[in-house]
Amino acid sequence: MSDWEPKIIAFLCNWCSYGAADLAGVSRLQYPPNIRVIRVPCSSRINPKFILAAFRHGVDGVWVSGCHPGDCHYLEGNLYARRKFALLKSQLEYTGIIEPGRLHFSWISSAEGARFAEKVGQVVESVRAAGPAKHFVKKQAEVP
Amino acid sequence: MHSYTERIREAAKRVLLEKRVDGVIGFRKGTVPFMNEPFLALSPQQADLLVWDGNCAMNLANYLPKRTDRVAVTAKGCDSRSIVIHLLENQIRREQLYVLGIPCQGMTDKRKLADRLNGKGILGVEERGDELRVYGRGFEYSFERGEFLQENCAVCEHKNPVLYDELLGEPVAEQQVDRYEEIRKIESMPPDRKRLFFEDLVRPCIRCYACRNACPACFCPTCFVDEKKPQWVGKTIDPTDTRTFHFLRAFHMAGRCTDCGSCERACPVGIRVRLFTRKLEKEIKELYGYEAGVILDERPPLEAFRPEDPEPFLDG
Amino acid sequence: MPDICIAKENFPELIERLMGRYRVYAPVERGRYYEFAQIGKAAEADLSFSNTLLSPKGLFHPQAERMFEYSLARDDPDAGIVKEAQKEFAPRLILGIRPCDARAFDLDDANFDTETLKDPWWIRRRDATTMIGLACDSPCSTCFCTSMGSGPYDTAGLDVLLADIGEGYAAEVLSEKGKAALEDVCGSSAAGACLQVAEKKGAAEQSIAAAFDPVAISKIGMLDLYNSPMWEEVQFACINCGACTFLCPTCWCFDIQDEVYADRGDRLRLWDSCMFPLFTLHGSGHNPRSIKTQRVRQRFMHKLKYYQDRYNRGPACVGCGRCVQACPVNIDIRQVGLKMASTVSSCSA
Repeated sequence: MSDWEPKIIAFLCNWCSYGAADLAGVSRLQYPPNIRVIRVPCSSRINPKFILAAFRHGVDGVWVSGCHPGDCHYLEGNLYARRKFALLKSQLEYTGIIEPGRLHFSWISSAEGARFAEKVGQVVESVRAAGPAKHFVKKQAEVP
Repeated sequence: MHSYTERIREAAKRVLLEKRVDGVIGFRKGTVPFMNEPFLALSPQQADLLVWDGNCAMNLANYLPKRTDRVAVTAKGCDSRSIVIHLLENQIRREQLYVLGIPCQGMTDKRKLADRLNGKGILGVEERGDELRVYGRGFEYSFERGEFLQENCAVCEHKNPVLYDELLGEPVAEQQVDRYEEIRKIESMPPDRKRLFFEDLVRPCIRCYACRNACPACFCPTCFVDEKKPQWVGKTIDPTDTRTFHFLRAFHMAGRCTDCGSCERACPVGIRVRLFTRKLEKEIKELYGYEAGVILDERPPLEAFRPEDPEPFLDG
Repeated sequence: MPDICIAKENFPELIERLMGRYRVYAPVERGRYYEFAQIGKAAEADLSFSNTLLSPKGLFHPQAERMFEYSLARDDPDAGIVKEAQKEFAPRLILGIRPCDARAFDLDDANFDTETLKDPWWIRRRDATTMIGLACDSPCSTCFCTSMGSGPYDTAGLDVLLADIGEGYAAEVLSEKGKAALEDVCGSSAAGACLQVAEKKGAAEQSIAAAFDPVAISKIGMLDLYNSPMWEEVQFACINCGACTFLCPTCWCFDIQDEVYADRGDRLRLWDSCMFPLFTLHGSGHNPRSIKTQRVRQRFMHKLKYYQDRYNRGPACVGCGRCVQACPVNIDIRQVGLKMASTVSSCSA
């Protein structure tokens, strides 16, 4: 347990949050290595199936980050996404599929490299506190 | 309730003779207690087979998507709201429909009765107003119908149809009731207990998809369960897969589910799947002030946004 | 004719002794319904049930089972080799199965145990299983076994048939397996029970209403049934949910799926249903039963006509009534059967 490191999938929107990650890298800002980035065109690309699939595969946390509402590269994508995220997070925690602290959302613009690096740290600590995810993982079909 | 039978037959015959519609979708008497069979009457003679009682619970809006003919359909409050959802989602055109609105006094739950009778075999049931007469081998009981309403009917706030071409009865009084007491109880459980609660809830699931097929809002040409590349959810009774199925199916109902109860009624093993959908319904009402299928002009919540939408999912 | 009477007070002990020799499956109460499950104590068996919600076919043909597996784990000496999944074939006894369900397994054998194709797991499970059946004295209103060539006291497929005679069970031994199961049972002579059992059998059979005549269906031309206009009306209510096929003891269709993970893979067999549109979807994209009417017709034709024509042993239906109870829209096979039986044949036989 002591050498367990959280594994976190970060869905970053191409235009803002992914740019912020790039900026953090270029600025040589240090942040924990626990995130694995998946670039999406817009935060509204996120389908609940992706988040479920991530947890089923055994990741300990999922983080979705996009442009600030009002600044979406596609104008309205994240405005639709907001409603989806609110319902998704609330339903995932209600059904006990994930514990609080495993699913995170943020709006980070491409200029906010420092904020990105800081946010990574917060997400990683929050998932670390939740512990290794083990209740919604499918390693093999549990059938006779 | 029985006067509805006469009115439905009369209206059905009339619209068939006037050639306003090609068929009338309603129910005909079932062959077992507590069941009626959805039926398409194509002639005035067949219209005489239509019945109405407290076992007309299946949502007939389920038979509307992709239809090319003109049909009349009997619709309770929840059914009519599902029809609104179909119209909003272009599953059928308004011109094809002639809605026979039925102000509903609630449907009977055969499982509640079976529980009360401790599993004694019921051979027949008769409705007389508010009285339910139930008989079997060597017994006959009289019950108050209101005690054995389907769970969704007991907390229904939309008994009267919201959309109709003809209303076949006087509107019934609506009730204001706390629909979410049980949901709040679950919300207040610690995370582990929530997980165990839902694991137990879906444990009997045999993945027959009766819930999905009974639901009028489930009409995708390819259900997510059948998607193969990638495969989002396995088809065995693996517990993680089963939980994924129920979670995602309920999520697809967000803002579209009218709580008609057809899913629970159809489930052969009696899983209370509405515990998934009602949480979403509660969230949507609280966050966006929206109720599925009540207003024809409003887009469903996940197809719309407002600048001031709350963001409870952000950390701190 | 019963061979031996077992007093009810001795029954728990009998079950305990059987548990010493077999894995014993019996009806177990689960809230609102019963299911066949392996018992750990005699008291878990509840023979006061009418029938289980799910048919016991899951004991021979589970909803999902692993066929083959492979692992790519570095520390696995068998890495990269596809192996048959380990299964349990130790002797098993199913106690309290109803005659209709036992007969259903005989009908299922036509699919799993043929001259050319033999399902290894089905056959080994069948060989390893002894079935002690319990005759029905209170058939449900949805039962119609007598019309399907079975009956509440039918012995087909059973190794022992128990009849409840009040203070005990009158047991009729029907096979070597049955004899072996009851070899050390302490019971009394059944001579006096013969008449009682015969009377109860008659009463139970009388209490089941006649449904439809499958023989009449077998005499009608297949195409006459196939092209009958009755199917348009029958199919309307159907929602293609698959509940009927999953609960039916004579429905055996399955799908085979591969599930591949990072370091291992499984080939799984799971229940499939002709009610699902995907059931007949070809790789080319063509679907011969893409319309609901075709699927609904297929199910009834298979059960009541094709199976009869092909195997000459009656319909693939034992009249258990589960589909009638479970169908959410009350499509009643008894009604459909009546319609089929009264279809006019365009040519004789």
